[in-house]
Amino acid sequence: MRLKFSLITRREFLNTLFGGWLIAFLSGSFYALLKFAYPTLGKEPDFVVLNAKDFTDIPANSVKPFPWGGKLGFIFKRPDNKTVALKGVCTHMECNIAYKPEDKKFYCPCHKGWFDMDGKVIEGPPPKPLEFFELTQEGEKLIVAKKGIKVELPKA
Amino acid sequence: MSCQRLKKWFDERYDFEGIRSFTKHKLIPVHKYGILYYTGGLTMFLFALQFITGMVLSFYYVPYHEQAHKSIIEIVTKLNMGWLFRSLHHWGAQLAIGVLFIHVFGTLLLKAYRKPRELIWITGFILLAISIFFGLSGYFLLWDERAFAAVRVATGGAGNLPVIGGFIKSFLRGGLDVTGETLIRFYGFHVSVLPFFTLLLIGIHVLLVQYHGMSIPLSQKDNVKKYEPFFPNVLYKDFILWLIALGVVVTLSVFLPPEIGKKADPLAAPPENIKPEWYFLFLFQTLKLFPGDIMGLNGEMIAIILISLGILFFFLIPFLDRKSARDEKSTAFTWIGIIYTVYFVVMTIIGFIT
Repeated sequence: MRLKFSLITRREFLNTLFGGWLIAFLSGSFYALLKFAYPTLGKEPDFVVLNAKDFTDIPANSVKPFPWGGKLGFIFKRPDNKTVALKGVCTHMECNIAYKPEDKKFYCPCHKGWFDMDGKVIEGPPPKPLEFFELTQEGEKLIVAKKGIKVELPKA
Repeated sequence: MSCQRLKKWFDERYDFEGIRSFTKHKLIPVHKYGILYYTGGLTMFLFALQFITGMVLSFYYVPYHEQAHKSIIEIVTKLNMGWLFRSLHHWGAQLAIGVLFIHVFGTLLLKAYRKPRELIWITGFILLAISIFFGLSGYFLLWDERAFAAVRVATGGAGNLPVIGGFIKSFLRGGLDVTGETLIRFYGFHVSVLPFFTLLLIGIHVLLVQYHGMSIPLSQKDNVKKYEPFFPNVLYKDFILWLIALGVVVTLSVFLPPEIGKKADPLAAPPENIKPEWYFLFLFQTLKLFPGDIMGLNGEMIAIILISLGILFFFLIPFLDRKSARDEKSTAFTWIGIIYTVYFVVMTIIGFIT
Protein backbone atom coordinates (compact mmCIF):
# COMPACT_ATOMS: atom_id res chain seq x y z
CA MET A 1 0.00 0.00 0.00
CA ARG A 2 1.35 3.42 -0.88
CA LEU A 3 0.68 6.29 1.49
CA LYS A 4 -0.20 9.64 0.04
CA PHE A 5 1.71 11.60 2.62
CA SER A 6 4.61 10.66 4.77
CA LEU A 7 6.39 12.70 7.45
CA ILE A 8 9.71 11.14 6.64
CA THR A 9 11.31 9.72 3.55
CA ARG A 10 12.25 6.09 3.22
CA ARG A 11 15.94 7.11 3.42
CA GLU A 12 15.39 9.03 6.65
CA PHE A 13 13.55 6.10 8.14
CA LEU A 14 16.31 3.65 7.26
CA ASN A 15 19.08 5.97 8.42
CA THR A 16 17.36 6.44 11.76
CA LEU A 17 16.76 2.75 12.12
CA PHE A 18 20.32 1.70 11.29
CA GLY A 19 21.86 4.67 13.06
CA GLY A 20 19.93 3.84 16.20
CA TRP A 21 20.90 0.22 15.89
CA LEU A 22 24.55 1.18 15.51
CA ILE A 23 24.49 3.49 18.52
CA ALA A 24 22.76 0.84 20.63
CA PHE A 25 25.22 -1.80 19.50
CA LEU A 26 28.30 0.35 20.11
CA SER A 27 27.22 1.62 23.49
CA GLY A 28 26.26 -1.89 24.60
CA SER A 29 29.62 -3.23 23.48
CA PHE A 30 31.48 -0.37 25.10
CA TYR A 31 29.63 -0.89 28.35
CA ALA A 32 30.45 -4.60 28.36
CA LEU A 33 34.08 -3.85 27.53
CA LEU A 34 34.37 -1.36 30.34
CA LYS A 35 32.60 -3.66 32.76
CA PHE A 36 35.12 -6.39 31.98
CA ALA A 37 38.16 -4.11 32.00
CA TYR A 38 37.20 -2.54 35.32
CA PRO A 39 38.62 -4.67 38.11
CA THR A 40 36.60 -6.36 40.80
CA LEU A 41 37.62 -4.42 43.85
CA GLY A 42 38.62 -5.96 47.10
CA LYS A 43 37.99 -4.17 50.34
CA GLU A 44 40.33 -2.81 52.93
CA PRO A 45 40.01 -5.12 55.94
CA ASP A 46 38.10 -4.04 59.04
CA PHE A 47 40.49 -6.02 61.19
CA VAL A 48 43.36 -8.48 60.94
CA VAL A 49 44.36 -11.17 63.39
CA LEU A 50 48.04 -11.65 64.11
CA ASN A 51 49.99 -14.14 66.13
CA ALA A 52 50.74 -12.36 69.42
CA LYS A 53 53.99 -14.25 69.91
CA ASP A 54 55.54 -12.61 66.83
CA PHE A 55 55.06 -9.17 68.30
CA THR A 56 55.96 -9.56 71.98
CA ASP A 57 59.64 -8.76 71.86
CA ILE A 58 59.65 -5.48 69.97
CA PRO A 59 62.24 -3.20 71.59
CA ALA A 60 60.99 0.15 72.83
CA ASN A 61 61.08 3.02 70.35
CA SER A 62 60.77 0.80 67.26
CA VAL A 63 58.19 -0.64 64.90
CA LYS A 64 57.44 -4.04 63.45
CA PRO A 65 55.56 -4.26 60.15
CA PHE A 66 52.52 -6.42 59.51
CA PRO A 67 50.32 -6.75 56.41
CA TRP A 68 47.12 -4.71 56.71
CA GLY A 69 45.34 -6.19 53.72
CA GLY A 70 47.70 -5.35 50.89
CA LYS A 71 49.04 -2.34 52.74
CA LEU A 72 51.67 -1.80 55.37
CA GLY A 73 50.75 -1.73 59.06
CA PHE A 74 53.01 -1.09 62.04
CA ILE A 75 52.93 -2.42 65.56
CA PHE A 76 54.65 0.46 67.31
CA LYS A 77 56.29 0.13 70.72
CA ARG A 78 56.51 3.71 71.88
CA PRO A 79 59.50 4.96 73.87
CA ASP A 80 57.24 4.88 76.95
CA ASN A 81 56.67 1.13 76.27
CA LYS A 82 53.04 1.56 75.27
CA THR A 83 52.19 -0.59 72.24
CA VAL A 84 49.95 0.79 69.51
CA ALA A 85 49.07 -0.14 65.93
CA LEU A 86 48.81 2.14 62.94
CA LYS A 87 48.62 2.12 59.18
CA GLY A 88 52.11 2.67 57.74
CA VAL A 89 50.85 4.58 54.73
CA CYS A 90 51.32 8.28 54.19
CA THR A 91 48.06 10.21 53.95
CA HIS A 92 49.46 12.34 51.13
CA MET A 93 50.20 10.02 48.22
CA GLU A 94 50.02 6.60 49.84
CA CYS A 95 53.74 5.92 50.03
CA ASN A 96 54.89 3.66 52.82
CA ILE A 97 56.32 5.54 55.76
CA ALA A 98 59.28 4.67 57.93
CA TYR A 99 59.89 5.23 61.65
CA LYS A 100 62.93 7.29 62.59
CA PRO A 101 63.83 6.21 66.15
CA GLU A 102 66.46 8.90 66.57
CA ASP A 103 63.91 11.67 65.89
CA LYS A 104 60.95 9.75 67.34
CA LYS A 105 58.99 10.63 64.22
CA PHE A 106 57.43 8.94 61.22
CA TYR A 107 58.79 9.99 57.88
CA CYS A 108 57.60 9.67 54.27
CA PRO A 109 60.49 9.82 51.79
CA CYS A 110 58.31 10.44 48.72
CA HIS A 111 57.48 14.09 49.37
CA LYS A 112 59.20 14.61 52.72
CA GLY A 113 56.28 14.39 55.10
CA TRP A 114 56.88 14.17 58.86
CA PHE A 115 54.50 12.88 61.54
CA ASP A 116 54.99 12.80 65.28
CA MET A 117 54.54 9.69 67.42
CA ASP A 118 50.79 10.27 67.63
CA GLY A 119 50.56 10.53 63.87
CA LYS A 120 50.03 14.29 63.79
CA VAL A 121 51.47 16.08 60.74
CA ILE A 122 54.49 18.17 61.70
CA GLU A 123 55.92 19.10 58.35
CA GLY A 124 55.42 18.60 54.64
CA PRO A 125 52.41 18.05 52.41
CA PRO A 126 50.36 15.30 54.16
CA PRO A 127 46.81 16.57 54.66
CA LYS A 128 45.69 14.23 57.44
CA PRO A 129 47.17 12.52 60.50
CA LEU A 130 48.14 8.86 60.31
CA GLU A 131 45.43 6.30 60.93
CA PHE A 132 45.72 4.46 64.26
CA PHE A 133 44.04 1.15 65.04
CA GLU A 134 42.60 -0.49 68.13
CA LEU A 135 44.88 -3.16 69.48
CA THR A 136 43.51 -5.96 71.63
CA GLN A 137 44.93 -9.26 72.71
CA GLU A 138 42.87 -12.41 73.14
CA GLY A 139 45.10 -15.21 74.33
CA GLU A 140 47.48 -16.04 71.51
CA LYS A 141 45.76 -13.68 69.14
CA LEU A 142 46.59 -10.07 68.56
CA ILE A 143 43.68 -8.27 66.97
CA VAL A 144 44.23 -5.08 65.04
CA ALA A 145 40.97 -3.38 64.14
CA LYS A 146 39.79 -0.10 62.70
CA LYS A 147 38.60 2.32 65.34
CA GLY A 148 34.98 1.71 66.20
CA ILE A 149 34.79 -1.76 64.67
CA LYS A 150 33.47 -4.56 66.89
CA VAL A 151 35.44 -7.70 66.23
CA GLU A 152 33.72 -11.00 66.75
CA LEU A 153 36.05 -13.91 66.22
CA PRO A 154 34.54 -17.30 65.47
CA LYS A 155 34.78 -19.59 68.49
CA ALA A 156 37.36 -22.22 67.74
CA MET B 1 66.29 -4.53 -15.22
CA SER B 2 64.22 -6.51 -12.78
CA CYS B 3 63.63 -3.28 -10.90
CA GLN B 4 62.12 -1.80 -14.05
CA ARG B 5 59.87 -4.83 -14.41
CA LEU B 6 58.75 -4.53 -10.81
CA LYS B 7 57.97 -0.87 -11.38
CA LYS B 8 55.98 -1.78 -14.47
CA TRP B 9 54.15 -4.47 -12.56
CA PHE B 10 52.95 -1.95 -10.01
CA ASP B 11 52.24 0.75 -12.58
CA GLU B 12 49.96 -1.57 -14.51
CA ARG B 13 47.93 -2.19 -11.41
CA TYR B 14 48.03 1.01 -9.37
CA ASP B 15 47.91 4.67 -10.17
CA PHE B 16 50.89 6.30 -8.51
CA GLU B 17 50.53 9.63 -10.27
CA GLY B 18 49.11 11.39 -7.22
CA ILE B 19 51.84 10.19 -4.86
CA ARG B 20 54.54 10.94 -7.43
CA SER B 21 53.45 14.50 -7.98
CA PHE B 22 52.99 14.99 -4.24
CA THR B 23 56.54 13.89 -3.48
CA LYS B 24 57.86 16.03 -6.30
CA HIS B 25 56.08 19.12 -5.00
CA LYS B 26 56.48 18.71 -1.25
CA LEU B 27 58.41 21.80 -0.20
CA ILE B 28 59.79 22.84 3.15
CA PRO B 29 60.11 26.57 3.89
CA VAL B 30 63.55 27.77 4.91
CA HIS B 31 63.75 30.22 7.83
CA LYS B 32 65.64 30.62 11.07
CA TYR B 33 63.43 28.30 13.13
CA GLY B 34 63.55 25.61 10.46
CA ILE B 35 65.48 23.28 12.72
CA LEU B 36 62.30 22.61 14.71
CA TYR B 37 60.77 20.93 11.67
CA TYR B 38 63.14 18.05 12.30
CA THR B 39 62.02 17.32 15.85
CA GLY B 40 58.82 15.56 14.77
CA GLY B 41 60.58 13.17 12.41
CA LEU B 42 63.24 12.52 15.02
CA THR B 43 60.61 11.65 17.62
CA MET B 44 59.02 9.26 15.15
CA PHE B 45 62.35 7.61 14.43
CA LEU B 46 63.03 7.13 18.13
CA PHE B 47 59.56 5.67 18.59
CA ALA B 48 60.22 3.20 15.78
CA LEU B 49 63.38 2.19 17.62
CA GLN B 50 61.31 1.65 20.79
CA PHE B 51 58.89 -0.57 18.91
CA ILE B 52 61.72 -2.76 17.62
CA THR B 53 63.66 -3.10 20.88
CA GLY B 54 60.38 -3.54 22.79
CA MET B 55 59.24 -6.37 20.55
CA VAL B 56 62.33 -8.44 21.25
CA LEU B 57 62.31 -7.63 24.97
CA SER B 58 58.75 -8.94 25.19
CA PHE B 59 60.04 -12.38 24.15
CA TYR B 60 61.84 -12.70 27.47
CA TYR B 61 60.15 -10.45 29.99
CA VAL B 62 57.79 -12.19 32.43
CA PRO B 63 54.94 -9.89 33.47
CA TYR B 64 54.27 -11.61 36.78
CA HIS B 65 55.16 -9.92 40.04
CA GLU B 66 57.15 -12.81 41.41
CA GLN B 67 59.32 -13.14 38.32
CA ALA B 68 59.34 -9.73 36.66
CA HIS B 69 62.33 -8.32 38.49
CA LYS B 70 64.32 -11.53 38.10
CA SER B 71 63.48 -11.85 34.41
CA ILE B 72 65.01 -8.45 33.73
CA ILE B 73 68.17 -9.39 35.57
CA GLU B 74 68.29 -12.52 33.45
CA ILE B 75 67.76 -10.59 30.24
CA VAL B 76 70.69 -8.39 31.16
CA THR B 77 73.05 -11.03 32.53
CA LYS B 78 72.30 -14.27 30.72
CA LEU B 79 70.88 -13.61 27.28
CA ASN B 80 72.88 -12.84 24.18
CA MET B 81 72.88 -9.07 23.72
CA GLY B 82 70.20 -8.76 26.38
CA TRP B 83 72.16 -6.02 28.15
CA LEU B 84 72.27 -4.04 24.92
CA PHE B 85 68.59 -4.26 24.10
CA ARG B 86 67.44 -3.40 27.59
CA SER B 87 69.84 -0.46 27.54
CA LEU B 88 68.68 0.63 24.09
CA HIS B 89 65.05 0.49 25.16
CA HIS B 90 65.83 2.57 28.25
CA TRP B 91 67.92 5.24 26.55
CA GLY B 92 65.72 5.26 23.47
CA ALA B 93 62.79 6.09 25.73
CA GLN B 94 64.67 8.86 27.52
CA LEU B 95 65.70 10.45 24.26
CA ALA B 96 62.29 9.99 22.65
CA ILE B 97 60.56 11.77 25.53
CA GLY B 98 63.22 14.50 25.54
CA VAL B 99 62.89 15.20 21.83
CA LEU B 100 59.12 14.96 22.13
CA PHE B 101 59.12 17.76 24.72
CA ILE B 102 61.29 19.92 22.44
CA HIS B 103 58.82 19.20 19.64
CA VAL B 104 55.85 20.13 21.85
CA PHE B 105 57.32 23.35 23.26
CA GLY B 106 58.63 24.31 19.81
CA THR B 107 55.12 23.92 18.40
CA LEU B 108 53.72 25.91 21.31
CA LEU B 109 56.16 28.81 21.01
CA LEU B 110 55.98 29.09 17.23
CA LYS B 111 52.17 28.77 17.41
CA ALA B 112 52.16 26.03 14.81
CA TYR B 113 48.91 24.89 16.48
CA ARG B 114 46.97 27.83 15.05
CA LYS B 115 44.16 27.49 12.53
CA PRO B 116 43.90 25.28 10.47
CA ARG B 117 46.17 22.87 12.36
CA GLU B 118 44.14 22.37 15.56
CA LEU B 119 43.67 18.66 14.92
CA ILE B 120 47.42 18.17 14.60
CA TRP B 121 47.75 19.74 18.05
CA ILE B 122 45.02 17.51 19.49
CA THR B 123 46.47 14.28 18.10
CA GLY B 124 49.90 15.44 19.26
CA PHE B 125 48.60 16.19 22.74
CA ILE B 126 47.07 12.71 23.03
CA LEU B 127 50.36 11.23 21.77
CA LEU B 128 52.19 13.18 24.47
CA ALA B 129 49.87 11.80 27.15
CA ILE B 130 50.30 8.30 25.72
CA SER B 131 54.08 8.70 25.70
CA ILE B 132 54.14 9.71 29.34
CA PHE B 133 51.95 6.75 30.22
CA PHE B 134 54.32 4.61 28.14
CA GLY B 135 57.13 5.87 30.34
CA LEU B 136 55.30 5.27 33.60
CA SER B 137 54.06 1.80 32.65
CA GLY B 138 57.47 0.95 31.18
CA TYR B 139 59.45 1.66 34.26
CA PHE B 140 56.86 0.03 36.48
CA LEU B 141 57.64 -3.22 34.64
CA LEU B 142 61.03 -3.23 36.38
CA TRP B 143 59.07 -3.94 39.58
CA ASP B 144 61.69 -2.24 41.71
CA GLU B 145 61.24 0.00 44.74
CA ARG B 146 61.31 3.26 42.88
CA ALA B 147 58.85 2.19 40.21
CA PHE B 148 56.51 0.86 42.85
CA ALA B 149 56.45 4.12 44.81
CA ALA B 150 56.13 6.17 41.61
CA VAL B 151 53.09 4.24 40.43
CA ARG B 152 51.49 4.48 43.86
CA VAL B 153 51.92 8.24 43.77
CA ALA B 154 50.84 8.65 40.15
CA THR B 155 47.71 6.51 40.40
CA GLY B 156 46.94 7.86 43.86
CA GLY B 157 47.27 11.38 42.49
CA ALA B 158 44.77 10.61 39.75
CA GLY B 159 42.51 9.33 42.53
CA ASN B 160 42.32 12.85 43.95
CA LEU B 161 40.43 14.19 40.96
CA PRO B 162 36.87 14.99 41.91
CA VAL B 163 34.10 12.62 40.77
CA ILE B 164 36.05 10.41 38.32
CA GLY B 165 39.22 10.07 40.42
CA GLY B 166 38.26 6.90 42.26
CA PHE B 167 37.21 5.19 39.07
CA ILE B 168 40.44 6.06 37.24
CA LYS B 169 42.54 5.01 40.20
CA SER B 170 41.08 1.54 40.59
CA PHE B 171 40.90 1.08 36.83
CA LEU B 172 44.63 1.76 36.53
CA ARG B 173 45.57 -0.24 39.61
CA GLY B 174 43.37 -3.21 38.85
CA GLY B 175 42.19 -3.08 42.44
CA LEU B 176 42.40 -0.90 45.52
CA ASP B 177 46.17 -1.07 45.87
CA VAL B 178 49.18 -1.30 43.63
CA THR B 179 49.76 -5.05 43.44
CA GLY B 180 50.75 -7.80 41.02
CA GLU B 181 47.42 -7.12 39.29
CA THR B 182 48.67 -3.64 38.48
CA LEU B 183 51.79 -5.10 36.90
CA ILE B 184 49.79 -7.29 34.50
CA ARG B 185 47.53 -4.37 33.67
CA PHE B 186 50.43 -2.02 33.00
CA TYR B 187 52.08 -4.67 30.86
CA GLY B 188 48.88 -4.90 28.83
CA PHE B 189 48.85 -1.14 28.41
CA HIS B 190 52.53 -0.99 27.59
CA VAL B 191 52.66 -3.70 24.94
CA SER B 192 49.19 -3.70 23.42
CA VAL B 193 46.85 -0.81 24.20
CA LEU B 194 49.30 2.07 23.97
CA PRO B 195 51.24 0.84 20.90
CA PHE B 196 48.00 0.41 18.96
CA PHE B 197 46.77 3.92 19.69
CA THR B 198 50.25 5.32 19.12
CA LEU B 199 50.39 3.89 15.61
CA LEU B 200 46.87 5.04 14.84
CA LEU B 201 47.49 8.58 16.08
CA ILE B 202 50.94 8.93 14.52
CA GLY B 203 49.31 7.90 11.23
CA ILE B 204 46.65 10.62 11.55
CA HIS B 205 49.17 13.18 12.86
CA VAL B 206 51.61 12.66 9.98
CA LEU B 207 48.86 12.52 7.36
CA LEU B 208 47.47 15.83 8.61
CA VAL B 209 50.91 17.39 8.45
CA GLN B 210 51.16 16.29 4.82
CA TYR B 211 47.71 17.69 4.16
CA HIS B 212 48.37 21.12 5.66
CA GLY B 213 52.05 21.39 4.81
CA MET B 214 54.57 22.90 7.22
CA SER B 215 53.39 25.76 9.37
CA ILE B 216 55.36 28.96 8.99
CA PRO B 217 55.78 30.97 12.22
CA LEU B 218 53.98 34.32 12.08
CA SER B 219 57.20 36.25 12.59
CA GLN B 220 58.84 34.47 9.67
CA LYS B 221 55.98 34.87 7.19
CA ASP B 222 57.83 37.57 5.25
CA ASN B 223 61.29 36.15 5.85
CA VAL B 224 60.90 32.93 3.92
CA LYS B 225 63.24 33.48 0.99
CA LYS B 226 63.21 30.00 -0.45
CA TYR B 227 61.70 26.56 -0.23
CA GLU B 228 63.62 23.32 -0.10
CA PRO B 229 62.28 20.15 -1.74
CA PHE B 230 61.46 17.46 0.84
CA PHE B 231 62.62 14.71 -1.51
CA PRO B 232 65.49 14.30 -1.27
CA ASN B 233 67.07 17.37 0.43
CA VAL B 234 65.15 17.50 3.71
CA LEU B 235 64.77 13.75 3.94
CA TYR B 236 68.53 13.32 3.73
CA LYS B 237 68.97 15.85 6.50
CA ASP B 238 66.41 13.84 8.49
CA PHE B 239 68.48 10.72 7.91
CA ILE B 240 71.64 12.46 9.12
CA LEU B 241 69.88 13.47 12.31
CA TRP B 242 68.42 9.99 12.82
CA LEU B 243 71.84 8.45 12.41
CA ILE B 244 73.30 10.82 14.98
CA ALA B 245 70.43 10.04 17.35
CA LEU B 246 71.01 6.31 16.90
CA GLY B 247 74.67 6.88 17.62
CA VAL B 248 73.82 8.77 20.81
CA VAL B 249 71.39 6.06 21.96
CA VAL B 250 73.89 3.27 21.31
CA THR B 251 76.75 5.17 22.96
CA LEU B 252 74.71 5.92 26.07
CA SER B 253 73.48 2.31 26.16
CA VAL B 254 76.98 0.91 26.05
CA PHE B 255 78.63 3.29 28.48
CA LEU B 256 75.78 4.06 30.86
CA PRO B 257 73.64 0.94 31.20
CA PRO B 258 70.57 1.67 33.35
CA GLU B 259 70.48 0.19 36.81
CA ILE B 260 67.70 -1.75 38.41
CA GLY B 261 66.75 -1.10 42.01
CA LYS B 262 65.89 -3.55 44.74
CA LYS B 263 62.85 -5.71 44.10
CA ALA B 264 59.66 -3.94 45.14
CA ASP B 265 58.26 -4.88 48.52
CA PRO B 266 54.74 -3.58 49.12
CA LEU B 267 55.42 -3.50 52.86
CA ALA B 268 58.75 -1.64 52.79
CA ALA B 269 59.28 2.09 52.88
CA PRO B 270 60.64 3.54 49.66
CA PRO B 271 64.35 4.43 49.67
CA GLU B 272 65.58 7.80 50.89
CA ASN B 273 65.55 10.67 48.39
CA ILE B 274 63.35 8.82 45.96
CA LYS B 275 62.70 10.65 42.71
CA PRO B 276 60.57 9.82 39.70
CA GLU B 277 61.79 9.78 36.10
CA TRP B 278 62.95 13.21 34.99
CA TYR B 279 59.83 13.96 32.96
CA PHE B 280 57.70 13.68 36.09
CA LEU B 281 59.94 15.97 38.11
CA PHE B 282 57.97 19.11 37.28
CA LEU B 283 54.82 17.48 38.65
CA PHE B 284 56.76 16.09 41.61
CA GLN B 285 58.06 19.56 42.48
CA THR B 286 54.62 21.08 42.03
CA LEU B 287 53.13 18.59 44.50
CA LYS B 288 55.82 19.50 47.03
CA LEU B 289 54.87 23.19 46.79
CA PHE B 290 51.42 22.67 48.23
CA PRO B 291 51.00 22.36 51.98
CA GLY B 292 48.66 19.68 53.30
CA ASP B 293 46.07 22.17 54.34
CA ILE B 294 45.05 25.32 52.49
CA MET B 295 42.51 27.31 54.48
CA GLY B 296 40.83 24.19 55.73
CA LEU B 297 40.77 22.49 52.34
CA ASN B 298 42.72 19.43 51.28
CA GLY B 299 45.90 20.85 49.72
CA GLU B 300 46.59 17.72 47.74
CA MET B 301 43.24 17.85 46.01
CA ILE B 302 43.74 21.53 45.20
CA ALA B 303 47.16 20.71 43.74
CA ILE B 304 45.76 17.97 41.53
CA ILE B 305 42.86 20.15 40.37
CA LEU B 306 45.19 23.04 39.54
CA ILE B 307 47.55 20.75 37.64
CA SER B 308 44.61 19.30 35.72
CA LEU B 309 43.36 22.78 34.87
CA GLY B 310 46.84 23.75 33.68
CA ILE B 311 46.94 20.71 31.42
CA LEU B 312 43.40 21.34 30.17
CA PHE B 313 44.28 24.94 29.31
CA PHE B 314 47.38 23.72 27.47
CA PHE B 315 45.21 21.32 25.48
CA LEU B 316 42.74 24.07 24.55
CA ILE B 317 45.32 26.69 23.53
CA PRO B 318 44.58 26.47 19.77
CA PHE B 319 40.94 27.30 20.50
CA LEU B 320 41.62 30.04 23.04
CA ASP B 321 44.26 31.85 21.01
CA ARG B 322 41.83 33.70 18.76
CA LYS B 323 44.36 36.24 17.53
CA SER B 324 46.87 33.84 16.02
CA ALA B 325 43.96 31.93 14.47
CA ARG B 326 43.41 35.12 12.43
CA ASP B 327 47.15 35.26 11.69
CA GLU B 328 47.59 38.25 13.95
CA LYS B 329 50.40 38.75 16.42
CA SER B 330 49.32 37.21 19.72
CA THR B 331 51.61 38.46 22.47
CA ALA B 332 49.53 37.09 25.34
CA PHE B 333 49.91 33.54 24.08
CA THR B 334 53.58 34.02 23.38
CA TRP B 335 53.93 34.76 27.10
CA ILE B 336 51.71 31.85 28.05
CA GLY B 337 53.90 29.60 25.93
CA ILE B 338 57.03 30.99 27.55
CA ILE B 339 55.53 30.52 31.03
CA TYR B 340 54.68 26.88 30.32
CA THR B 341 58.12 26.20 28.89
CA VAL B 342 60.03 28.00 31.65
CA TYR B 343 57.91 26.37 34.35
CA PHE B 344 58.60 22.93 32.93
CA VAL B 345 62.33 23.53 32.51
CA VAL B 346 62.89 25.27 35.85
CA MET B 347 60.87 22.78 37.88
CA THR B 348 62.64 19.87 36.16
CA ILE B 349 66.04 21.37 36.98
CA ILE B 350 65.07 22.12 40.60
CA GLY B 351 63.78 18.56 40.93
CA PHE B 352 66.99 17.26 39.46
CA ILE B 353 69.43 19.11 41.69
CA THR B 354 67.62 18.97 45.04
